[in-house]
Amino acid sequence: MNELLEQFLIESRELAEQTTDDLLALEQSPEDRARLDSAFRGFHTLKGGAGIVEFDAMGRVVHAAEDLLASVRAGDAPLSADMVGHCLACLDQIGRWLDAMETEERVPAGADAVASTLVARFAEPGARPAHGTPAPSAASDRPPWLRDLLGRCPDVRRAGVAVRYVPHGECYFRGDDPLALVGRLNGLLALAIHPRNAWPQLDHLDPFACNLVIDALASGARDAVADHFAAVAGHVEIHALSEGTEAGGLIVPERAAEILRAQIALASSSDRGSFDATLTSAGRTAGNVLRHLRCDAKAAEIDAALARSLAAGEATALVAAIETILAAPDEAGGREGTADTAAARPATIARTLHVDVGRVDAIVNLTGELTIVKNALGHAVRLAQDGADAASLAPLLKQQHAQLERLTAELQRSALSIRVLPLRQVFRRFPPLVREIGKRLGKSARLVMAGEETEADKVVVEALYEPLMHVIRNAIDHGVDSPEERNAAGKPAVPVIRLSGRREGEHVIVEIEDDGRGIDAAKVRHAAAMQGVATPEALAALSDDEAVELIFAPGLSTAATVTTLSGRGVGMDAVRSAIERLGGRVTVASRAYQGTTVRLTLPFTVMMTQVLTVEVAGQLVGIPFHAVLETVQLRRDHIAPVGDARAFALRGRTVPLVDLARELAFVEGPRSSTVASIVVVALGGELGGFEVDRFGERLDIMLKPMGGLLSETPGVAGTTLLGDGRVLIVLDLEELLR
Amino acid sequence: MTVAMSSDGTIRLEGICADADAEPLLRLLVEHRDAAIDWRGCTGAHSAIIQVLLAAGVNPLGPPANAFLRDHVAPLFGAIAASGGTDPVRK
Repeated sequence: MNELLEQFLIESRELAEQTTDDLLALEQSPEDRARLDSAFRGFHTLKGGAGIVEFDAMGRVVHAAEDLLASVRAGDAPLSADMVGHCLACLDQIGRWLDAMETEERVPAGADAVASTLVARFAEPGARPAHGTPAPSAASDRPPWLRDLLGRCPDVRRAGVAVRYVPHGECYFRGDDPLALVGRLNGLLALAIHPRNAWPQLDHLDPFACNLVIDALASGARDAVADHFAAVAGHVEIHALSEGTEAGGLIVPERAAEILRAQIALASSSDRGSFDATLTSAGRTAGNVLRHLRCDAKAAEIDAALARSLAAGEATALVAAIETILAAPDEAGGREGTADTAAARPATIARTLHVDVGRVDAIVNLTGELTIVKNALGHAVRLAQDGADAASLAPLLKQQHAQLERLTAELQRSALSIRVLPLRQVFRRFPPLVREIGKRLGKSARLVMAGEETEADKVVVEALYEPLMHVIRNAIDHGVDSPEERNAAGKPAVPVIRLSGRREGEHVIVEIEDDGRGIDAAKVRHAAAMQGVATPEALAALSDDEAVELIFAPGLSTAATVTTLSGRGVGMDAVRSAIERLGGRVTVASRAYQGTTVRLTLPFTVMMTQVLTVEVAGQLVGIPFHAVLETVQLRRDHIAPVGDARAFALRGRTVPLVDLARELAFVEGPRSSTVASIVVVALGGELGGFEVDRFGERLDIMLKPMGGLLSETPGVAGTTLLGDGRVLIVLDLEELLR
Repeated sequence: MTVAMSSDGTIRLEGICADADAEPLLRLLVEHRDAAIDWRGCTGAHSAIIQVLLAAGVNPLGPPANAFLRDHVAPLFGAIAASGGTDPVRK
């Protein structure tokens, strides 16, 4: 079966199951916000899947359900049993369709007619909140931001829809421009922008992380606005402002608040003589106001507070209860929670893994073989106990050790292969993205993919999306040449971006190749000199290829680079650090007028790490081998203090020296007074030295990330257990050299 | 150069200011906290640019040369300058 279809079936079944659970739970407790959100997301993701396999009928059905739940989420109407029923019927039908697709391997026949019947049910009166007639509670349940926004709007009568858009923090990297999206909204009436988290000090602001909350008011229909924001559906809250409330809606809560405030005054002022009567009157009035606004739960709170106040002979409880309601008229907390769960979603999905049964079987077989070796070892132990001499035991033990070695290696390989995914998992997300970016930038490009079957560790594959997207976006944005240039150079009219993957030994190579104009080394040199990335002498000494590599230097990612260079610039240092975090390398090769190739060299698995062991204050420490440049013995008088740090000169370069014992808070032992042992590492073009007590050996280890309390330990990437039972601490160089 | 400091010490936003301009703009604002900002020549500004301006609490000299920025975004700066800061999102 087609891989895409297979994946779709697996995912859709899981989603349908989860969403059914959510709906059943909602039937029991319709107020459960988390379930509602989860069900909404379930339909939303199902819709995405249907789109990918081009199953339009299913898309229409889940869209109708999603739409319905969206309006429930926006507070347009409470969730009724009928609505839940319709949604469940959809999922039921989807289950049948999925079964049919599994056998027929195509979209089931007659699905369109079935879909139309299902969709029609959603349109029936009572099945969905009608947009024209307001639910009486709508106005009072409006969140404060919406009331603010209405207050800001000069022509509130035209306002039909309010939108709160909280863009993803990394949306700029995806090429999104949230404000521009809001700006393109038809009939935009009012706009407000807030920081999501209070603005930091300006010099701590991250200009690449979106910290905006955008509120907008527009004329027009809810559906049109929802369509406009469809691409960012998980990040927007849309409220339909029903007719008649433009005038009344604003006044009612204000008037209600006034009445409530008056009751506080009344309750507080009641003197002893008429205490009970006045307090009861204030409490009842407040309760009635809330009941009128259909906030029965809050009215009940007031009733309870009134009873407490009467019992205590003090107005405090009632006054406090009314004040609480005035201060927090809606469940803002619930809304915040929604955003959080939505953000956390990708992480949860990534927790499950679909594993080929064959791979599990291989592991089961290996455990069988291990048992045989264990039994053989038991036999050797008995011989030793019975007084067999070492000479006769040695060959036996040697043979069993060899077997054990082979089996553990195989087991390790098999266990790791469970974590392996084809690059296709990440590659397949790019064709639509390239279309989208091309449309946005007005430059069309053709994406050609190769080697999608190449496998890599799940962690690597899943972390590749962002850096790849960045490189591809840059290639289209800056690398692609104009039609005139292409024509003159005799290139095909449509630029081609080639995304390919292949395995090379223990590495996975991913390349992004364009046939654009290439990167002009002279201009990179110029920009680097202008921006102080390196001295002019150092720049002059670089070959053209080395100069082009400067695009990865932090600080070169400025507007000047982008506008004056015919190459890339934006955030390539971010790409490099993302790849280095995975233990990989990124390089670029460019030929003028022929194109640019960015190559990512990634470890096949992030778990096998080669380290150089060193001894520091009696503790064994591992330094990731890929970063180790050399080890040197240096006379102490060659180490110079720089401020409160130290540095030494290595072939004309000044290298900062990190005292590992101090950095890791070890108790320092005595050291050679004349000579320092130093491990020189290179990270992102920067050199650094670690002073150690003794150099050890090169080791292949399975790195175990720090868990629990230790996960926050600075400078430590993880640990592993050595053959002699000692714990080896493996350093996180990036953190130590920062 | 779409974001640059002119000889009179004014930070000027010209043409379409892309997301990549946000970082240099921020750097200019950090280095020259009291500099005047002029965006009358600005024909478009990415969200990242607006975010930097909002975070800096500045009130650029306008109007900008773009209807959306002029009608909807520019008034937000005025409000901030008048109230002396931005309101964090209410909870």
